[in-house]
Amino acid sequence: MKDSIVILDPTNEIEPIGRQLATRPDQLQGTLGIIDISKPRGDVFCDELERLVRQQLPTLDIIRLRKPTYTKPTPANLRDEVGASCQAVIQALAD
Amino acid sequence: MSTLINVGRQAPAFTLADRDGHILAYGEIPTATTLLFFFKYDCETCSLTAPLIERLHQALAGQALKVIGISQNPISETTEFIEQHQLTFQVVLDTNLEVSADYGFDAVPAVVLADRSRQVGFSFEGFVKQELLELIRLTAASCSTPPPEIVRTEDQLPEHRPGCGSRVHDPEIARRLAVRRNRATLSARQVRIPIDEDPFEFMASQGLDDGLPVVPPTEERVLRMLSGTTRAASQVVAHIPPNLAPATVEKIAINAVMAGCRPEYLPVVIAATEAACNDEFNLHGVLATTYFATPVIIINGPIRHRIELNCGGNVFGQGFRTNATIGRALQLLVRNVGGGRPGGIDMSTLGQPGKFTCCIGEHEELSCWEPFHVERGFSPETSTVTVFAGEAPRAIRDQLSRTARSLGASMGMCLDTMAHPKLHRMGQVLLVVSPEHARTFGRDGYSKSDLRHRIQEVTARPLRALLPDDECQKGMAIGALPQEFIGQDGRPTTVALETPLSKFSHEDNILIVVAGGTAGKFSAVLGGWASGTTGSTAVTREITT
Repeated sequence: MKDSIVILDPTNEIEPIGRQLATRPDQLQGTLGIIDISKPRGDVFCDELERLVRQQLPTLDIIRLRKPTYTKPTPANLRDEVGASCQAVIQALAD
Repeated sequence: MSTLINVGRQAPAFTLADRDGHILAYGEIPTATTLLFFFKYDCETCSLTAPLIERLHQALAGQALKVIGISQNPISETTEFIEQHQLTFQVVLDTNLEVSADYGFDAVPAVVLADRSRQVGFSFEGFVKQELLELIRLTAASCSTPPPEIVRTEDQLPEHRPGCGSRVHDPEIARRLAVRRNRATLSARQVRIPIDEDPFEFMASQGLDDGLPVVPPTEERVLRMLSGTTRAASQVVAHIPPNLAPATVEKIAINAVMAGCRPEYLPVVIAATEAACNDEFNLHGVLATTYFATPVIIINGPIRHRIELNCGGNVFGQGFRTNATIGRALQLLVRNVGGGRPGGIDMSTLGQPGKFTCCIGEHEELSCWEPFHVERGFSPETSTVTVFAGEAPRAIRDQLSRTARSLGASMGMCLDTMAHPKLHRMGQVLLVVSPEHARTFGRDGYSKSDLRHRIQEVTARPLRALLPDDECQKGMAIGALPQEFIGQDGRPTTVALETPLSKFSHEDNILIVVAGGTAGKFSAVLGGWASGTTGSTAVTREITT
């Protein structure tokens, strides 16, 4: 066939699964997880966040979680823990 | 080496057209005894043989012998040959040389005698009089007739004359045939680019490039690239983050083609991929960080010379294909196979030019120390690739120091500014010592250990000078200090405040290589990223073919 140039696909040939954001809860109830990703002063930020949430929602249970390092993806056991024990979670990138 | 199909094997079937476009399908249905005569028009041995084959055809055509001439040349040249020798048997054109390749001969003429079931009764290439006579005898026997008088006294045939090289060995044709032969080893999806579309623009529009044009990875180029390794194309070398997608040798070869690599670089790219894709190096983090880090590739050992890697002047600079394309291939793999792209998982705030490519060779021959890879446990004869998550190189200028001690102090002072002067107890750093500076160290018998010690010595400052204060709110985080430094009140103890801390948490964090040109008292420092188990550690792998 002379009417086209054929190249080989350099990608992994897998359509990435669209990463959909989880549905946002209308209101916070049950257990809220606050995850510190281990950046410097992340604990200061998370402490203040926890204080503000407790002030506004005194009945909410809050658990604090911490990634071993900000440099690597959240380990599976921590993801499992969040899934099993939290109805909502607050985690954000730092800097 | 010739693998001309020999006695007892089955002659491959084929379909070829003659000069008028009439199709001849040999082997489709049982046929008569067949004599296949492969030739090319400018071969004197073919010209010597052709009239004899014609006479055999004339003598035995009535006895159900079918002679098929198979020309390796286009129509016009084939016609010239036919007319010159007044050939009356059917001649077909092996336009793509695929039939010639299937029959395995190295030289023309090549003659194959096969029976009704295509079983080969005799074959030879070139010209040997005794073989020709044997061919005549066997051909006649297979037609159940006495051998005809084919050779005449006036022919004055030589006893032996070598043939001419088959056209399957012409470089361009050989490459094309290799593609056909090895196509089955490839499994990557084929992408067709319409002929009216510029392949470079097409690839850019698909987001497959790094901002610079890439070489279109055609099957032929990829197969040629794969010739640089003995590994199977389907072998999975690593899983490349962030998508942890499998990087087969084939996918690495495709991206190496795009980067502009030559086949002999492929083993280095494979080893670099292995080195980068593991928990120790943490390529995911190196890619995702807002910091400047990128894989800096350092190559050691004999392969540097074989692939003409630059270890000398302008070692981090432009103009050296080996360096430029090996580093680029790894980056393209991360992008195309791993799915790591700027603005996506790659969140670097400023990036750096090394994210296009960064690959250097150690100038082992001008080093005053043992080579970097030997220090890391490999033999001098082994070739290795090391990946280090580094910043861009920054200058260390010292044209005045005449002693190793003074030069070591200069280097320490420069290294102290890595990331921030108030950040100490840091992880890995790459110090690239120029040959002139290496000579100064060598002259004084200064070991790498001495240099590391000197750097730690001149950078040591009491903790109190490294903590955040009103003058500069940046400094060492209390939480990052050793437990014994912290008192009951959660603050550093008085003793701790006066404790001198060096720039690096351990002397071994200072990686030292020698590279660069012979003129210039300039060295370079490439700062690291987060180090250790929570960051990235330099990884070295052996390069094997």
